[in-house]
Amino acid sequence: MEYKVEAHRIMSISLGKIYNSRVQRGGIKLHKNLLVSLVLRSARQVYLSDFYSGACLNEQSEREGKEWDLIESEREKFPPATEECDHTEETRQNDQPPINETVEKADDEEVKPDAEHCTPTPEEQSQNSSSDLADSVSSESPVPDAIKQNQESPTESTNATLGESSQPQKTHVCTNRKRGAEESAREDAPQKRTKVTSSNASDDEESEEMETGNVSNLITIFGSSFSGLLSKDGAKPEAEAEDSDSGSGQICCDQMLKNLNPWSTAIVAF
Amino acid sequence: MGEDGESPKINHSFLRDYVTEADVISTVEFNQTGDLLATGDKGGRVVIFQRETEPKGESEELCESGEYNVYSTFQSHEPDFDYLKSLEIEEKINKIRWLPQQNAAHFLLSTNDKTIKLWKVSERDKRPEGYNLKDEEGRIKDISTVTSLRVPVLKPTDLMVEVRPRRIFANGHTYHVNSISVNSDGETYLSADDLRINMWHLDITDRSFNIVDIKPSNMEDLTEVITAAEFHPHHCHMFVYSSSKGTLRLCDMRESALCDKHSKIFEEPEDPGNRSFFSEIISSVSDVKFSHSGRYLLTRDYLTVKVWDLNMEKGPVETYQVHEYLRSKLCSLYENDCIFDKFECVWNSTDSVIMTGAYNSFFRMFDRETGRGVTLEAWRESSKPRAVLRTRRVYTGGRRRRGDVGVDSLDFSKKILHMAWHPAENIIAIAATNNLYIFQDRVNPENQ
Repeated sequence: MEYKVEAHRIMSISLGKIYNSRVQRGGIKLHKNLLVSLVLRSARQVYLSDFYSGACLNEQSEREGKEWDLIESEREKFPPATEECDHTEETRQNDQPPINETVEKADDEEVKPDAEHCTPTPEEQSQNSSSDLADSVSSESPVPDAIKQNQESPTESTNATLGESSQPQKTHVCTNRKRGAEESAREDAPQKRTKVTSSNASDDEESEEMETGNVSNLITIFGSSFSGLLSKDGAKPEAEAEDSDSGSGQICCDQMLKNLNPWSTAIVAF
Repeated sequence: MGEDGESPKINHSFLRDYVTEADVISTVEFNQTGDLLATGDKGGRVVIFQRETEPKGESEELCESGEYNVYSTFQSHEPDFDYLKSLEIEEKINKIRWLPQQNAAHFLLSTNDKTIKLWKVSERDKRPEGYNLKDEEGRIKDISTVTSLRVPVLKPTDLMVEVRPRRIFANGHTYHVNSISVNSDGETYLSADDLRINMWHLDITDRSFNIVDIKPSNMEDLTEVITAAEFHPHHCHMFVYSSSKGTLRLCDMRESALCDKHSKIFEEPEDPGNRSFFSEIISSVSDVKFSHSGRYLLTRDYLTVKVWDLNMEKGPVETYQVHEYLRSKLCSLYENDCIFDKFECVWNSTDSVIMTGAYNSFFRMFDRETGRGVTLEAWRESSKPRAVLRTRRVYTGGRRRRGDVGVDSLDFSKKILHMAWHPAENIIAIAATNNLYIFQDRVNPENQ
């Protein structure tokens, strides 16, 4: 498990470096950023593969933190997820090696559709009294109708999402990713901010899982070098067009995308 | 009295240690004869040193003392701004290369991230005196005061060194220029940035040929960048470039106009036992140099220097560990950015010794015949002028000797990145932050 901690630490450091390179004199150094993104990718692969094995062990746990693990690993195999909800335990273990390889491809593909459907609903957020993570878990996109029925409690919604189509999972993940990106992009430690905003995050491990989640989400954006950022930029007009439900969701999207835009502008120009 | 006695005890070291960022030396280069040594710094200045020639009393011939004194200083590049991309362009001199001398003047190329400049360094030790229409200060004389005509005469004056920019090669590169290399034909040179290599003619500034382009059509597919490039010392059609993946590509310009396809590729398969998060970073080649013979290549990656035979592509013929004890510390070196340091490597004039820098003001020399390496230190406190450098050691286990330095007490802010070796003699120039050290081998001043 120490690999997971190490990988997480390396990912946080790498993200910090990428962010700081924006403000460095002399412009973005392509070579250094390429190397940092390679480290980020390696660390992420180790981290997610470790995450995955951790999720198998905690299959029966109903804490939101652990459910977040499941959803994260579920997301990785998003196309076949719907049909295999009953066999998830076995299939996860079997699919672990190929998943890691397809993770990046999956990330690239799912970033675009996620942006379109990602809107946390304020009603669910107010209902939920635990952490921000739990908020995001329950606040699914209202676009797929089937999901609305499963929004009673975080626990139930999460269990339901296991059997749901890939969209709600992506949405949930997308929300977290956006929050993660928004928070990580600030100068302050993202971990601190998460703790402050979470209302009842009494469980330290849960908070840590949340930070992990935020960092993991941010990782997907930096998926393969700069591809995540570039595709996010392209997805923005679609997100704004389709996003009509909750103001908070809109703000969430916009804030994150505002942070990404200078990045993508710099990269595109570069 | 009391104050005078105490003043030597006042510790002024804090003043010495305060280093202006602009004074940090960023490149060192001897010219082809070794008489001139140029250094570039982060502030965009170039300082040229000249070797002193003093007659020795006993022998009749002039004996060169090995001392270098400042010959000229000039501002090569200024900070610039790219308005289109809203990016600052640093004035730091990335590389200096001397041109082979063809007349009394010396020419050198200096480059920052974007622009390469050709400078002419010339001496003037005579000036004309006795003008008819101007007086000594240059003021126009009143015509009515001129009563006779005379021919101006050249009179010796104090030596003046003039440096003038002769060519400015601008707008050739989108990415940061990391190398320049003068061709053996004496007419062209190449400049390499992260993704492209251009070939220029020294007389033509508005055009350059792109000879290597590894930019992918989709930047998301970028996997490697060019880290260094150099022309072959004898064959004007051949050049080599290194990549961040640890590969070297030898290209022949006779094959095609665009040398994206290499003639030879030199790479060593990765040791799976050493795999870590940072394997890719430490395999990135930071410098590549042809041997003087043109037969071998010298490369530097983070932990090793390697000698490659141009005839053998599957791996280096020699590998030397520079500071293997850092392998277990890669994570902390990644955190403090030291893992991105780009060390240079140099050959001696006979290609029998190779040298490269390390941390804690240490630099390493490897004798290729014996395979042994020695660690030396470039640090003011421990070396007085004309003192013999003693070898240092980093303690990595076993019996600890006096003077050994522990790995954890290495100062990673004191890094020796840039260095040069005299083309004919055993004189080396080491840049340590803002100081330049020049060492000479007194035992074997001439290379056998």
